[in-house]
Amino acid sequence: MTQAIDTSIYSAVTSAIQAEAQRILSEGQVSAVVGYAPARRKGSAQPVVITEASDAGKLIFSASCVNNLAVYLTKAKKEIPKNGKIGIVVKGCDLKALVGLMGETQLKREELHIIGVPCAGVLASTFQPDKALTTETIAPKCRECDAQLPQGCDFVPPQQPVTQALEKKYAAEIARLEALTPAERWAFWKEQFSKCIKCYACRQVCPFCYCEQCLCDRNKPQMVETSPRPAGNTAWHIVRAMHLAGRCAGCAECERVCPMDIPLNLLNRKMAKELKELYDYEAGFEIKEKGPLSSYDEKDDQSFIK
Amino acid sequence: MQNFISEQNLNTLLDKLIAAGKRVVAPRLTAGTVLYEPLQKAEQMVHDELPRRSAKETFFPVCEDIMSYEKEGQQVRLTDIDPNSFPETILVGVRPCDAAAVPVLDAVFSWDYRDEFFLKRRDKTTIIGLACTTADDACFCTALGLSPADPKGSDLFLTPVEGGGYTCETFTEKGEQFIASHGSFFSGQSDAKTLPLAQPQTDKFDLKKVKAWLDEHFEDPAWDSIATRCVGCGACAFVCPACHCFDIVDEGTEKKGKRRKSWDACGFWKFTHHASGHNPRDQQPKRYRNRIMHKFKYYDDKFGQTLCTGCGRCIRICPVGIDIAAIVEEISKK
Amino acid sequence: MAKEKVYMHAEKQKHSFEPKIIAFVCTWCTYAGADLAGTSRMQYPANVRVLKFPCTGRIDPVFILKAFQQGADGVLVSGCHPGDCHYIAGNYHARRRFAAFRKLLEFIGVDLDRLQFSWVSAAEGGKWVEVVTELTERVRAMGPMNEFKELALDEQWSGKLDSPELKEAYNAI
Repeated sequence: MTQAIDTSIYSAVTSAIQAEAQRILSEGQVSAVVGYAPARRKGSAQPVVITEASDAGKLIFSASCVNNLAVYLTKAKKEIPKNGKIGIVVKGCDLKALVGLMGETQLKREELHIIGVPCAGVLASTFQPDKALTTETIAPKCRECDAQLPQGCDFVPPQQPVTQALEKKYAAEIARLEALTPAERWAFWKEQFSKCIKCYACRQVCPFCYCEQCLCDRNKPQMVETSPRPAGNTAWHIVRAMHLAGRCAGCAECERVCPMDIPLNLLNRKMAKELKELYDYEAGFEIKEKGPLSSYDEKDDQSFIK
Repeated sequence: MQNFISEQNLNTLLDKLIAAGKRVVAPRLTAGTVLYEPLQKAEQMVHDELPRRSAKETFFPVCEDIMSYEKEGQQVRLTDIDPNSFPETILVGVRPCDAAAVPVLDAVFSWDYRDEFFLKRRDKTTIIGLACTTADDACFCTALGLSPADPKGSDLFLTPVEGGGYTCETFTEKGEQFIASHGSFFSGQSDAKTLPLAQPQTDKFDLKKVKAWLDEHFEDPAWDSIATRCVGCGACAFVCPACHCFDIVDEGTEKKGKRRKSWDACGFWKFTHHASGHNPRDQQPKRYRNRIMHKFKYYDDKFGQTLCTGCGRCIRICPVGIDIAAIVEEISKK
Repeated sequence: MAKEKVYMHAEKQKHSFEPKIIAFVCTWCTYAGADLAGTSRMQYPANVRVLKFPCTGRIDPVFILKAFQQGADGVLVSGCHPGDCHYIAGNYHARRRFAAFRKLLEFIGVDLDRLQFSWVSAAEGGKWVEVVTELTERVRAMGPMNEFKELALDEQWSGKLDSPELKEAYNAI
């Protein structure tokens, strides 16, 4: 049964974000704040970079603030002014990505002013931005969220999100696929990957896809065919999932932005599950110098090796 | 005058065409997403949803082979694809915003070079448009002077009526021929009232003013505030009914392979990246500027047309919520 | 007088299917092990094509993908035993990477019986023969790896070969 999700704290959170942004910009603590602002469509929001304290009133937080803004701080995005400290508004899931980027020495904690958001969930991409947040319209990633309250931020509004246990859709879908035969799984993914048009939205929104030049954009040697055909598409999605294994923070942006509705986060969740089982690794709020695939233990399992 | 076709007759007609080996393309659910795809049965057609990708791919596929090569010793054998081999196609259930883009694309594909891949497919395709009964707040065809019942680009145009079925009007010889050769499926009944059509809520753009501003503001700080948020994917261009840039690549081994043409997008960093390493559009706002310029200035300069039909797809799918309707409106008020 | 001729090589058995096996090996251990098998005149299937790398740590999962795409029916990755890496820890890193990669391939629907990992030292010519023979016979029994080859022939959805004329045109090339 569809139930409403309480988002009443979001207006108080909005005011708190505005006040904090106003303060840090006017005191000169930061040169810019990356946050969300309303857009034209009813209920919609889009990322915004403000540099003047007088613009702080533009910032909002609502159930349509879906983006992971951490992507704007990576090497891949050179457009944000990077003179001095930057303020950034993050949900718990986004914060995990920031933490991952710090672990990979892409960002320095002291160069960030992190404004954490107590979050009750955001809308799934399949619904219009003016829809109310319910147990039906909530984004799949929020169903398995364990990070409603970000930790280790410079500022978090005091409001407490009301949370409820929801059915975990990724876990159920992964279990369903695992129970199939290899041929059936291949058929499932083949159909999904065939839809891919190589717009690379999944790569471009990913905070961890910060390579100056993507392997898949290289042609000497060409490891992955660039044309949007089943062969190159499949290779691309396997390479993407592998390069994110042990790094993905679970913000599910890749899946949200896919214009062809390919369930990309299933691959990421599956890899996260395996790495948790194999090496007890999980993305979290604590900065770790090494990920599971950039470290090793002499006693690692090798039962699959002859 | 035969200007009515019942729901059932339309299905029977399409099934008959499919059985006769014709390629019938229509909105259809494909792996969970509605796309313009060849039908196997008429009932697969989806009537009330805007497909995620536009109908342009019927003429301009996501990826197509244009040539193959094979090397044997010192001999190299090249084989062209014969555009005459493209099958006759009936494109049905096309949304007015998709159909309207086709004549716009004709201009560029038959300009200084006649692109036979596009034009031959175009020749062999009959477009049957379908009026929209629903719209959302991303739709803005009315802002560009089109409408949910605009037959631009359609050979034949269907408007749903109360109690089921469609009134149909022909606009080209192809459309008339289609009715003439399948006359038994159509009837003269025309007194039924059409269903209430969609009403997208956007005021009409002053495109002259927009162009006048674009003419003067290639360099302007506004581009930064509009597009700093752009992450540089190609989603907007790929779902657009009018974007038509493509890339040509050779794929295969040194012995054997194919030359392929596939969609490209000006939002990509790689799009203008020179072999020297220099990139004239080195920042994302410059790339996004090209998208707006091409649609509302360059295409107008060259062909006197606008490269946008207001389908709203780019607005719905933009990962960072860039809203072309809001941007154009903002420009028109400058 | 011996009635039977003694052949240098055992008579080659005829099979209807000869799988292509690509072996990615490290130069210090497995390559030397394979070399030892050769100089010791041990027999193993000629189906294996060996590609030499400095270390298993250099073997990118994308190579395995590429091998399957280019027509391999089976892939072997082999290097030094744990603790024996010439570069100290390359094989430890590779072990984790391949543990993850095979899980990914399995989830995508690749039959893991086509992918073998092994540690073969420079002294283990016999083990090399055993690993290669076992993989070759296993893959032979499974038949050709068609999944990736079919992908290379498949067109994008909208470009599907669904008309006889178009099919003919494509087949002509």
